[in-house]
Amino acid sequence: MNTKRLATFLLGPAIAALPAAAAAQDVELATAEQIPDLSQLSIEELAQLPVRSASKRDEPLSAAPTALYVITGGDIVESGATSLPEVLRMAPNLQVQQVNGREYAITARGFNSTETSNKLLVLMDGRSVYSTLASSVFWDLHAPLLEDIRQIEVISGPGGTLYGPNAVNGVISVNSRDARDTIGALLRGTAGAFERTAAGRYGFALGDNGAVRAYANWFDREDLRQGPIGPLIDDSFRGWQAGFRADVGSGSDHFTLQGDIFDNETDSLPGDGNQGHNLLARWSRVLSDAASLRIQAYYDYFERRLLLTYDSLQTFDLEAQLNATLGNHELVVGGGIRTTRDEFVNNLNPFRLNPSSRRLWVYNAFLQDRISLTPELSLIAGLKIEETSFTGIELLPNLRIAWQPSPRTLLWAAASRAVRTPSRIDRQLEFLPLLAPATAFESEKLIAFEAGYRGQLSDSTTLSVSLFYNLYDDIRTTEFQPGGGLPIQLMNGLEGNSYGLEAWGSAQLTSWWRLSFGLSTLFKDFRVKPGHFDLAQRDSLGHDPDFQLFARSQMNLTDRLQATAALRYVDSIDSAPPIGGYVEADASLSYRLSDLVELYVAGRNLLHRTHIESNDAQRGQLVQRSIYAGTRLRF
Amino acid sequence: MSGNRHLLALAALATVLAAAPARAQLTEEQVKAAFLPRFARYVGWPAASQPTPGSAFQLCVIGRDPFGRMIEQAAASESIDGRGVQVRRLPSAAGAAACHLAFVQGTAPADTGRLLLALRRFPVLTVTDGRAGPQRGMIHFTIVSGRVRFFIDEAEASERGLSISSRLLALAAGVRQRR
Repeated sequence: MNTKRLATFLLGPAIAALPAAAAAQDVELATAEQIPDLSQLSIEELAQLPVRSASKRDEPLSAAPTALYVITGGDIVESGATSLPEVLRMAPNLQVQQVNGREYAITARGFNSTETSNKLLVLMDGRSVYSTLASSVFWDLHAPLLEDIRQIEVISGPGGTLYGPNAVNGVISVNSRDARDTIGALLRGTAGAFERTAAGRYGFALGDNGAVRAYANWFDREDLRQGPIGPLIDDSFRGWQAGFRADVGSGSDHFTLQGDIFDNETDSLPGDGNQGHNLLARWSRVLSDAASLRIQAYYDYFERRLLLTYDSLQTFDLEAQLNATLGNHELVVGGGIRTTRDEFVNNLNPFRLNPSSRRLWVYNAFLQDRISLTPELSLIAGLKIEETSFTGIELLPNLRIAWQPSPRTLLWAAASRAVRTPSRIDRQLEFLPLLAPATAFESEKLIAFEAGYRGQLSDSTTLSVSLFYNLYDDIRTTEFQPGGGLPIQLMNGLEGNSYGLEAWGSAQLTSWWRLSFGLSTLFKDFRVKPGHFDLAQRDSLGHDPDFQLFARSQMNLTDRLQATAALRYVDSIDSAPPIGGYVEADASLSYRLSDLVELYVAGRNLLHRTHIESNDAQRGQLVQRSIYAGTRLRF
Repeated sequence: MSGNRHLLALAALATVLAAAPARAQLTEEQVKAAFLPRFARYVGWPAASQPTPGSAFQLCVIGRDPFGRMIEQAAASESIDGRGVQVRRLPSAAGAAACHLAFVQGTAPADTGRLLLALRRFPVLTVTDGRAGPQRGMIHFTIVSGRVRFFIDEAEASERGLSISSRLLALAAGVRQRR
């Protein structure tokens, strides 16, 4: 304590000398006047100085030629958010719809709704979590401890060669912290009229150069009100998730073992809810000056029960990746095998999967070369080959060019092909004599053209702009037999294009105040191909707003008091049944009482008592204002 | 309409909060840059690789440089038994044999690993940053409760013939001890 006070005393003049606008994180132009003199402090005092955390642009990822948005662990904690989908609202290149108390629909570049947001790859520490039932992600199966997330990378557009299956419209990669960086205990609790959460984590060193942490996370959310579109449903939701992560690394080896287990329930019918577990092991090794290897394997299981339907999915996955530098070539070669066994039992209506349980296989192999043509210009050429039990071999090439005329400026362009391979429902849903399985259903295909700029306009401002033009083919339709008449079948009858702009940026106005903004637009132009007719009236295209606007303010008012506020405008959804656009705000105010205790109050959707985000006619409820108080203890 | 009123209230709150007095905080990089030349004081090198009397310790920044001039400023005021600290920037491990301390950061985590591997031939105190990836040098910066701290791999240092003072070890967030 004494040392700390001394440090504060000694540091006072140094801090006073720091001009308010000195966001001296960019060091290229940082002038000596902006740099406080720390040379008089002892090494112990240096270790006690509170620091402002690094900004996104310090991440080496800034050289990646994709439309990439990074949500940092600091952003997550400051936001006061209590669930992963609410955290994802920070990414301007995602569209997040809260459908009801339990379900969210999330997509990038269109096709949103619980059933049609099926073109996204979501990775939890490298574990793919989209379901083979309908290629969609069940967000109610994931309640990680938000405080232990290192960062979330959100890519809009096909992720490129290195990401696995289903990366068509976007990739969300959630990365938790190395266990060696979460040593100690954390307890968090929040309480409000609408929602309560409690969580704990304990991390400790393991041997000489490793660490382990274990965590548990519990939540209880109230029922949402019935909206103008969906029926009244019992969507109160409560449950828990627990898990661990161990990291051991020394010299050239790094080994990770982690796992989670969860159980949650909803009030729809007695016994309704989800449960599951997973275990993942990853080993990375630096082989030489110019090569490294990574091998990963995981097992994942979940089952869901809702309204007399039951489905389960068991996944085994093995993947390996070798990086090597040869002259001015950076090569990445790798591959993976995944097998799933699912089961779908429906006692609610006569729709069945035939067979009701099935094992599927997905194989992929990839090769990417990043060629440095000049120090500023590089060309990235990649090819992924993918084969599934339902389709033959798919070739997924992508070509990118990155021009970095200065460390502060990146201009990039890309052309890629991506496919969404058929899900179980696409191929094997049946309700005879009305609906016959679509044994000929092919992959939905995308050819995407993108271009973007990412850079720093000044020491304290960043900007990222990307444009995309997507050409889709073979999107799902529901059709009569070619000659007319029953049974109807799912077919690949839609084609079209979409284009839009995504932009985001931030300005560090003063050393303690940061403003961020975001914008995304989407235009869709689709048609039923000649010889086809869509009984589902283009339902597979989803329900998307034309544009969204975001603004966020993050203020470190003192070294103890932080305030954040976020405002978003989401345009109307015009596809039937139409719903209006909305403006909503989230805010959080946090006070660090001591190194041990942090108190905060946070609110979501503060501007209206209720609003509607989804036009889902079966599930949509009114999203509600929620205010809660919380505390975090770290020791 | 009620929404607009809330918006106004929020804007008013923001203005009030913005006007509140606030203290500037240092960046992580500023503190890390201050640490780097300071480490020389708490490390012992094998006699053969110590700087000759009157010459300076070589602090190398290998690969990416997140510090810029901050590190020169920190090094300028450092003097250990009459020897200063001189900063050098190297694009790769070539020429690193003359370094006493090296901050190592590649363009990607694997790249950092490769640089570290190349440095294992020399008695160089390697320093890495947890922000850049999991690959660890003998000293690995991390953030604990909003402060810059570090892990120390004493075993690796001792294998390269370096000794680390107990004063530095006492500050570490974790130590991998020498066998």
